[in-house]
Amino acid sequence: MLPYLRLELMRLLRDRRFLAFTTVMPIAYYLLFTSIGSSAGSAAWSVYFMVGMAGFGALAGAVSAGGGLATDRSIGWLRQLRVTPLPSSQVVAAKVSANMVAILPALVLVCVAAAGVHGVRLAAWQWVALVGLLWAGALPFALLGLAIGYLASPLSTGPLMGFGMFGLSLLGGMWFPVTTFPGVMQTISHVGPTYHYANLSWKVAFGQAPAVSDAAVLVAWAALFAIIAMLGYRRTSRAW
Amino acid sequence: MDVPLTTAIELDAVTKCFGEVRAVDSLDLAIGRGETVALLGPNGAGKSTTIGMMLGLLAPDRGTVKVFNRSPAQVVAAGMVGAMLQDGGLPGGVKVSELIAFARSVYPRSMPTRGVLAIAGLEELAGQRVDKLSGGQRQRVRFALALAGNPDLLVLDEPTVGMDVESRRAFWAGMRAYAADGHTLLFATHYLEEADAQADRVVVITRGHVVASGSGAEIKRSARGQVVSFDLDGTPLFGLEGLPGVVEVEVHGQRVRLRTNDADATVAALIRERGMVRNLQLGGPSLEDAFVALTENDEAKETA
Repeated sequence: MLPYLRLELMRLLRDRRFLAFTTVMPIAYYLLFTSIGSSAGSAAWSVYFMVGMAGFGALAGAVSAGGGLATDRSIGWLRQLRVTPLPSSQVVAAKVSANMVAILPALVLVCVAAAGVHGVRLAAWQWVALVGLLWAGALPFALLGLAIGYLASPLSTGPLMGFGMFGLSLLGGMWFPVTTFPGVMQTISHVGPTYHYANLSWKVAFGQAPAVSDAAVLVAWAALFAIIAMLGYRRTSRAW
Repeated sequence: MDVPLTTAIELDAVTKCFGEVRAVDSLDLAIGRGETVALLGPNGAGKSTTIGMMLGLLAPDRGTVKVFNRSPAQVVAAGMVGAMLQDGGLPGGVKVSELIAFARSVYPRSMPTRGVLAIAGLEELAGQRVDKLSGGQRQRVRFALALAGNPDLLVLDEPTVGMDVESRRAFWAGMRAYAADGHTLLFATHYLEEADAQADRVVVITRGHVVASGSGAEIKRSARGQVVSFDLDGTPLFGLEGLPGVVEVEVHGQRVRLRTNDADATVAALIRERGMVRNLQLGGPSLEDAFVALTENDEAKETA
């Protein structure tokens, strides 16, 4: 699997759209929305939005693994791989792993921008826990991406991925705090996975221990996405 | 001709349907180790479906497929097979050399990189990004991927489609070098000359089953019949179909080709009716004539 992971990493690091979505955009949005508007200059907002944008970059990168797989299917690369000794399951695992590795620099860079530009200061344990939670917590979204990649038609994959990236990050309060949402939206937000994903790190960033309840909801969503992805894999693995 | 000691591929009464369409219809085929075999047939004859089953990409509805006496999936997993698929794509963002390095790394006994590049004619393109290559060049990269694992069996589905004349010549030179080492080679094609020139044996398939198998020369003989050709020189075409023995009339400008079962009777009748015929020529059927005759006979049998 390692040689294929290497190949996938090379592809990702040369993919400008992937890098734009997962690295450049989160940093640019972070710097923009912490420098203009009524909250500009607020220390709390600088910390809050740092987690939001780092999480957005990680989410976008993780979800897009499934899109990459769908593309590889449509161009016939997966078919080509099927006549090599490399098992299909390892191809999928390498694809997800590559995306997970590739989002790590983006996560760190948003934090570096926050510390460098807005002087965000956290304890060492907070930095480590925050980056670790945002990173590991993105895995469920990689499973969601796979589920979309397996089950969506080639034409609907793009819009669904877009919804996955923007809709879910918006719903999770990564762009605006959930407390500013109207009531129904708040309820939906608390049911969905992204709020709990980001809240693990918000807690850490503001000096609290991450809540077990957030982790539990995220794990439940991960299980659901995994089941859907597995069903999709079974359904389409023959055609791949 | 060497008698193959063992069998590389064995298909026994294999049938594969897609809905109502019977793509492969109780097909029997045995290919010996070290043989170079062309699978020749028109589009839709079932070539790609047959190849898909040999590679374990498709499961047969009925019958058995064995490669080196094992299941196709086992042989593929063991790295004994390399394949160039018709619809196999290449990933973007990687260099030719990186892709070949990857392919080499997944096979247990891969070929040295230099050898792969040389046989596939890619020495000068090794540093190029795959997405920047022309269609013919990409085709050579796909060939290199099939070759990289130094497989005992190479299966190529329409390998030279999209190649220009020069690439095609280079491709077959590489292919012959590979086959000369005792490797087994199976390729599907609808180019008759290619099958005739490159293969030890041509297997003609049409509508999902084998209608003929042998060397190019043997297949030509199996068509029997002969070809009578002459210049029309302004004389009417009318009546040629009715001449004794004639099974087909082809006209190329002023030149007429009559495919006939009885050349003597055809020529005698032709002279009797027309008095004089210009540039009369008598010849054996081309592989194309044989091919047309074989596929037509098969259809006639079916409808009879």
